Amino acid sequence: MSIHISIRRYDPGKGGEPVWVDYEVPAHERTTVLETLTNIYENQDPTLAFRFGCRFDKCGLCAVEVNGKPRMACYTDVKEGMKIGPLAGMPVVRDLVIDRASFFEALRELELYIPEQGERSEPRVMEQSEAHKKLLSCVECLACNATCPAYDFEKNPLLGPYVVVKLAQLHLDPRNEIDRRKQARDLGLGDCGGCKKCYCIHGINIRKLAVEPLVGDWPGQA
Amino acid sequence: MEVRKTDVLVIGSGGAGVMAAVEAERAGASVVVASKEPLGYGDTRIALGVMSTSPDTAAGDSEEDFVEDMIRGGEYLNDPKLVRALAGDAMDATLTFEGFGHIFSRDAEGVLTRMAVPPGGHRASRAVSSPWLGVSMCHAMRAAVARSRIEVLEETVCSELLMRDGGVVGAAALRMMSGEPAALLAKSTVVAAGGGGTLYYPHTDCMPAVVGDSFGLGLKAGAELVDMEQVQFLPFGITHPPALLGIPCGEPSMAGPFGRLLNNKGEVVLENIMPMTRAQVARVIVEEIQKGGATEHGGLLLDLTPNLDSPDGEFFVMMLKKFAGPFLDGVGKAYGKEASDFKVPWDVLPTAHYNMGGIKSDASCRSRVAGLYACGQAQGGVMGGNRLGSTSLTEIFVFGKRAGRAAAREAAGRTSPDETVAGEAIDRLRSFPGSNGNHRPIELKRRLQTLMWEKVGPLRDGEGLKQALEEIESIRKEARDLRITDFCRCNQEITDAIELPHMIAAAEAIAISALERRESRGAHVRADFPEHDTEKPVQNVLVEMAGDACRTRCMEAGE
Repeated sequence: MSIHISIRRYDPGKGGEPVWVDYEVPAHERTTVLETLTNIYENQDPTLAFRFGCRFDKCGLCAVEVNGKPRMACYTDVKEGMKIGPLAGMPVVRDLVIDRASFFEALRELELYIPEQGERSEPRVMEQSEAHKKLLSCVECLACNATCPAYDFEKNPLLGPYVVVKLAQLHLDPRNEIDRRKQARDLGLGDCGGCKKCYCIHGINIRKLAVEPLVGDWPGQA
Repeated sequence: MEVRKTDVLVIGSGGAGVMAAVEAERAGASVVVASKEPLGYGDTRIALGVMSTSPDTAAGDSEEDFVEDMIRGGEYLNDPKLVRALAGDAMDATLTFEGFGHIFSRDAEGVLTRMAVPPGGHRASRAVSSPWLGVSMCHAMRAAVARSRIEVLEETVCSELLMRDGGVVGAAALRMMSGEPAALLAKSTVVAAGGGGTLYYPHTDCMPAVVGDSFGLGLKAGAELVDMEQVQFLPFGITHPPALLGIPCGEPSMAGPFGRLLNNKGEVVLENIMPMTRAQVARVIVEEIQKGGATEHGGLLLDLTPNLDSPDGEFFVMMLKKFAGPFLDGVGKAYGKEASDFKVPWDVLPTAHYNMGGIKSDASCRSRVAGLYACGQAQGGVMGGNRLGSTSLTEIFVFGKRAGRAAAREAAGRTSPDETVAGEAIDRLRSFPGSNGNHRPIELKRRLQTLMWEKVGPLRDGEGLKQALEEIESIRKEARDLRITDFCRCNQEITDAIELPHMIAAAEAIAISALERRESRGAHVRADFPEHDTEKPVQNVLVEMAGDACRTRCMEAGE
């Protein structure tokens, strides 16, 4: 059987506006969005650009918007009439491929790492909370940034839930020596309205595990 | 054209590449990392995060036992010097990696805690676990690079190594997002671009970028590869639906003490799976399938239910959920919740997981070509004919360190190349967009992948391997006649076209080595030579490129 879907196509190098292009594609009951994109690239349209990785929801590379909601393409079944676009609010390189380069640069800019450890002796007590472990399960798919109503890449690519999760990871690391709460406030996290719309596909409660520990009783906080 | 000059170029940014880059920089070198994906998106990212550290001597384990287990498991093809290096440096690599920002399993007193049940083939447990899967390790890897002054070129694919006076002096590369070529000029070049699991797509659990670049780059630059026929198939991969074909659901220890394999008639094909190596279990599965025992989905049934009925059933379920839990969601996705609760059998088929073979290099990761180093899955000889679970993460950090240090030290004695060495390679990159031939690169990639699974897969024979080599040769000819859409920015077809020659070279190296090894050993199973060759001493198969084609030679394995 075959179904019809639309994909948002855009090449900023050429200018103009994004356009929705319709495709008719073969599908069975459990065909995924990723299989469909691959099928289009292989059999219909060699110009379609999209990212993917592990095919089993572990690497974070294939996040797209499906009917306006962020989804991992590899773990989402394709359905008649689906509209597939890039993650919202992110700069598009082409089609479904967003520019991820600034998210490595963010690590440098905000010193999102522990200090050099030098010589070490064993054993070494390094207690790790369950909250810290949960935050380390972040696959960096960037769905959280795409769903934060206040996130504005043009204004400040750093001020979004993704960087907040990184700050919280370090805040909870027993070796951290930088005041991550101050960093969060300086970035402007105090203005977070607490709407809880930052959505994690993989179940990290960003508001509870990342935002609250960083802003805590920050005076501006409702 | 973009030109970068550096002391050390590292190709690849999984655990091996990142460790090599950080160590080279610590040793005082300037470093550029070129990575096809964003930094830290190699196979390390989707590993289980379980890593062998040093043996626990307090529990009666020893380095000698660790070495012996690896060599016995590798069926005596391993290079003992490399195995001793791995066992000896394991603790150092563990602590260095924790210094990147990782924390392995430790108890309240801060002692590293090794897992209760060792992966198949280990006599004692040496493995520590991570707070989450490989992705938790990649947070630390990305952080360590951010902390350094290493120059990072993400989404940059290397098409060929640059040569001067018979030595390697960097690489030609394409910046994939812009489509612009770049000359990466270096005094030392570390190839850490992983293995080639994706040569078997979709019968693989590897990342799509892992297509054999390391092997293609190395061969063309004059390096020798060792035991390329040794491709590890994880015995238990998912068979259906098609989207999840090849996704991992476990290794022998996953079977628990009472797990068993059943064929399509419900007959028991294998029991007592837990202590067996991956190669041994994968072989039993493919041989049973060959005899007609496959289910309608092409696999066998892994029945874990007897574990639940045993007195230790609860313990077993608890252990599996703790250490393999994250992989159970793939099983649940494919076969439903009853399956991920171990209450119904799983349809399983071996899936390409890891290349034991790779660039032949010494314990400092030096290949026979001046200026060229290899570490991680790119390097051959560490694992022999079968890799034991939890040792690849040890390998990437131990040999990443060694490669980085040697590359930095030896760069000091070399002069910088001039960018003219890159001229022809850059011209070749510029010629891709708008090529007006007859074959799309993806069409040839898919043909090669199907061929590798069917003829150079987990069960091989001489006739099939000869046919595979002929077909690889015809794909190589067709790859000179490519059709590529005419634009540069983020054009997947250009990336496919760059990967294709690496894949062809790697595929040929695997097939010709498999034909040369007229015995079954390790992960290499020949239907026409089902046993070890006991007539002569154990041999390593070496392959090099002569002109456009590969040729093999054999040498005695061991010291």
